[in-house]
Parts: sequence; C-alpha cells; structure tokens
Amino acid sequence: MNLRYMTKELYYQKRRTLMSIFGLSTGIALLIVLNSLSLAYRQAAHVPLKEIGADITVQRSGDVPKDLAGAVFPCSAVTIRKEEVEKIQKLPGVRGIGTGLLLWVFDPNRAWIVLGIEKENSIGPSLLRSSVTEGRFLEDGKPEALVEQAYARQFGIRLNDAISVADKKFPVVGFVDASRAAKIAIANVYLPLKEAEDLAASSKGLQSVSPYEPGDVNLLFIKADQEKITDLASEMKGILGNKATVATPDSFLKLLGSLFALSDKFTLAASLIAIIIAVLIAFKTMAGNIAERAREIGVLKAVGWTNRNVVYQLMLESVIQCFIAGILGLLIALVASFGLSFMKVNIPIPWEMSPTPHFLPGGGDQIFKTLRLPVHVPWNLAFFAVLLSIIIGGLTGGLLGRHISKIKPSEVLRHE
Amino acid sequence: MDLSKKYGDLEVVKGVSLSIDAGEFVCLVGKSGCGKTTLLSLLSGLEKPTRGRVILNGKEINGASEDELALFRRENVGFIFQSFNLIPTLAAWENVALPLFPLKMTNEERHLRAMELLGKMDLGHRIKHLPSALSGGEKQRVAIARALINNPKIIFADEPTGNLDSSTGEAIMGILNKLHRDEGVAILMVTHEVELAKAANRLIRMKDGEVVS
Repeated sequence: MNLRYMTKELYYQKRRTLMSIFGLSTGIALLIVLNSLSLAYRQAAHVPLKEIGADITVQRSGDVPKDLAGAVFPCSAVTIRKEEVEKIQKLPGVRGIGTGLLLWVFDPNRAWIVLGIEKENSIGPSLLRSSVTEGRFLEDGKPEALVEQAYARQFGIRLNDAISVADKKFPVVGFVDASRAAKIAIANVYLPLKEAEDLAASSKGLQSVSPYEPGDVNLLFIKADQEKITDLASEMKGILGNKATVATPDSFLKLLGSLFALSDKFTLAASLIAIIIAVLIAFKTMAGNIAERAREIGVLKAVGWTNRNVVYQLMLESVIQCFIAGILGLLIALVASFGLSFMKVNIPIPWEMSPTPHFLPGGGDQIFKTLRLPVHVPWNLAFFAVLLSIIIGGLTGGLLGRHISKIKPSEVLRHE
Repeated sequence: MDLSKKYGDLEVVKGVSLSIDAGEFVCLVGKSGCGKTTLLSLLSGLEKPTRGRVILNGKEINGASEDELALFRRENVGFIFQSFNLIPTLAAWENVALPLFPLKMTNEERHLRAMELLGKMDLGHRIKHLPSALSGGEKQRVAIARALINNPKIIFADEPTGNLDSSTGEAIMGILNKLHRDEGVAILMVTHEVELAKAANRLIRMKDGEVVS
C-alpha cells in the first residue's frame, strides 16, 4: 500500500472522489440524523414523567361521583389500597415510590382541585418545592396550603389568607407556579398528604363511590430500573387489575404519534434504506472509477505488483474515501441535529393524568408539555457511523479490488 | 521452446522456439497481427502459453502462479510499451518508482533511485511533472527509466517508438542501444519497422504466428 499513490489518485480524480464521498456522506448523515431524531423523541417522551421525578405513574379509574359535592375522587383516580402500594414497592426493579392524593372539592361557592403531597420525597409532586414563587413550602405537621399562582390571582387569594376547603381552614403559606411545574397531577391547592387523607376519609360522597381509609392514595409515582419499566408496568397492572392506568415513557411516545416515535423498526428500516442507497452510489462510483483504471491496474501488475498489492492499494483508497465520507456525514449530521434541536414538540398529557372537571373553565382543554426536541448526536452513534463507513470502504475496495486484480495485464496493455 | 498460444480456435503463436542470450539485443519484426506482441507477452510472463515452456533467467515460469509471475517480473524484467502506460496521476519520478512501491523501502530511497535514472534520461528537470505535461519522447524516457529501476536482466519493448515522430523515435532507439551496450541489458524489441531493427544483434521475423527467419 502506498499513501502517496493513494493521495494523488484521490486528488486528481476529484470528480469521482467527491461524488463517492458525497454519496456516502449523505447516507451516513441520514443514518445519524434519523437515529438522533428517534432518540430525541424517546428522550422527550421521558420528560413529562421525569419532571415529576418518576419513570412510571399509576392510577386506577373508577366510577364517576354521583353527587359533585364536598371532596370526591376524579373518576380517573380512585383508591389504591395501602397493601397494594406495599406490593408494588416490593417488586424487583422498583427503586423508589412517591404518593399523592388528588381530590376534587366542591364547596358551595368554589371548586378546588386539591393535591395532597408528601413533603419530603424526591419522587412525585413534592418536587413542587422548587416551583414556590412566593412564601414557603409546606412544613411538617402543619395544616397549611400552597396555592397555584394563577388561581390565587384569579380569585384574589393572598399570602397568609386562610382558605376554606371542605369546611376546613388552611392558611396559605406560599404560591407555586404551575407553568414551571410538572404537567401531571396539576392542582389549585396543595396540602400535606395527611390533611388530604383526612378530607377524603371524612367525605361520605367519596366513600360511597370508592371506599377509602387513611394510608390509601390515588396517585403513585415510581422510580424504576430503566430496563425493567415495561415488565414492571404489566406487573403493576396485574396487582391493580384491569382498571389500572400505568403511564410509562413508552405510552407518551405513542401519544407523540411521530413515525420516529412510533417504531424503532421504522428508524431501522429508514436507516438501512439510507445506507443501502449511499453504499450503492459509492459502490457504483468506485466501480466506475476502478473499471476506468483497468489499464493502470494492468501496468501495476506488469511491473511486478501482486494481486494482493493491487487489492490493498484499492482498499486503502476506498477506506480513506469512505472514512472522509463518514467524517463529513457526521459533520452534516451535527449541523442538521443542531438545526433540528430548535424544533418544538408538544407532548399531550392525557386528561386522566391531570383531571379537571369539564365544566370548569379550561377543564376540557388538552394539556401539553411543550419542549425543544432534545436532538443530539451521541458519541457511540457517531463512532458507529464512522466505523460503518470504514467497513463499507473496506468491503467495497476489497470486493472491487479482488475483481479487477484478476485482469490479465497482457489483455489491457495491448497497444492501440 | 515450442511455444503456442491459442485464443479459442485461433492459434496466434504456433510452435515458436527461440533463445536470447544475456546482454543480447533481439528484434522481433513482422506485420501487424502476426503474433509478435503475443509472443512477447508469453516470453515475459504476462501471458501463459497454451503449449510449450518459457525459461527466463534459468527459471521455468510456466507453472508459476499469477503472484509468483508478478514477483518474478519485479525482479528480472522491465517493460516499455508503445503507449507509454504511465500512471496519469503520478509525477514522473513516481511513475519511475512505481515498481518499488510494494517494496519495503523509504520514500526517500525510491526518490533517489528514480532521480538517478531520470538524470540518465536527461529528465532531471521534469521529475515533478505529470505525464500530461510531458512530450511523447519524454514520456517514453520516463517509461524506460521505470523499466530500469529494478535492474532487470531483460527489457521487453513493445513498439517503443510506435507513437513517436521519427526523430524522437531515433532518440529513444539511441537510449536503448546505449543501455544494451553500456549496461549489458538484454533487450527484446517488437517492431514492424525493419529500419529500427537494424540496431539489434539479431533479427527474428514472424509471419502468421511462426518464426520464419
């Protein structure tokens, strides 16, 4: 193999070299961009749950409250028994669990969406601590409330006011900005879990639809081993029965509806097609180039180059061309990914996961989590793409080289 | 000895026997299509005979594989072609050094050896030029330098002046004569011009695939 010869061949055969490089680099760029997009949609699908510190959320749907008075459970989130929570906690792969109690409270003059939250838990709505815009977060053992900022503004609720929820007074100790918080289990009022449990336990209307005891909850937020999420989802459904609603990143991915999000197989098939087309372009260009060089190969053989010498030389040319194509493809993909990362994606949050009475203003509106698509090129994908281009170069050069090295010098060197 | 070459039913070389001594200058003449180039290909190991044996530098090359033949040519044989057959993307010195590319040696060594030969061909000022920038005579002189780079025992020249005007052709013949005379290299030259063949020690005439005199 001779580097000088290879360099000059690629340099002086610019048109063919560039065609071959651009053909393959387009395919490599497509491969990287398609896979980066697919990955970005997958990562985006994790965001709604990640914002609430969970990998899985669990609810159970039940009957619609007969009478919308006092505290009731939304029909999408009825009682999950304490024993069921304990069973779920023991499942292998569950790394942590957060709980919540979501209530609709219909007082004579006002309707509240109330969420009872644990005060200290890195999983679940207690992450609201970082969304407090005024006042402070809930403190241990105190019957106090946080109010959503926009709701407080709408109804003129001020800090240190006492609000009455289901005939119980709670001082407002802080405001939270729901637009900065997770879009799952959005409420107007946030109470300590214990207080929400008391409201639920003492509500006859609620008990008549979905029997409840203190310690039970209706929202579970679960942190789990990533590779076990799918299996855990089906095990949880097994524990809670067929009315369980188990949300995972995969379920959000399906809601996104994009082709990239819908199927790994689509991404794989599209990547394969891109690569095959690119390889064919590169192969055809190189084959044309090598066929044109039959006389040159004849000269090489006549002056003492062995078949192996010829094959290695052509392989070197092909590998270097394809390596350059791989790097160029990677650069194109990086630029394209940067451009695509400005694209916004709206992830719909199912009504069931953040239920609001339909008759309240905005109650029937679809909630979306809007975010910039986190498109980036992971280093292992970049490495794979460049490696793939080198392998393509090696195979193409090797195959074409083997074929052309079989020519007889006497056949191609006969004078005109 | 008793060399024959058939392409399908067509026998191009028919039972030719000849020998060339070390340092001898032999010219193979005959009309176009009489089998001269095929015989040259058989004798140089570029082509395998249908029948007969070729012994070159004391070694029978008939049974050798393609790669063995290539290595044999690298060590013993030099070629000069009518259409020069230089690699268009390589500079003059690189074309001269082409047979050395597969050998384990530094680029500097190759360069020095090529420079020395190009100097002998009065092309010291054209070493970095591409073939497209060289005249026909210069191209052929580069090709001669390439044929000499491996210190061959014999040079096979196929119509070396065929693409050149008469004065350039004479100059090339002068170089070949000088090589034969001063370096003692054996030369087998194919030509259809009997005038050129006068420079040779021996003349072999071919007609319809057979040696006639």
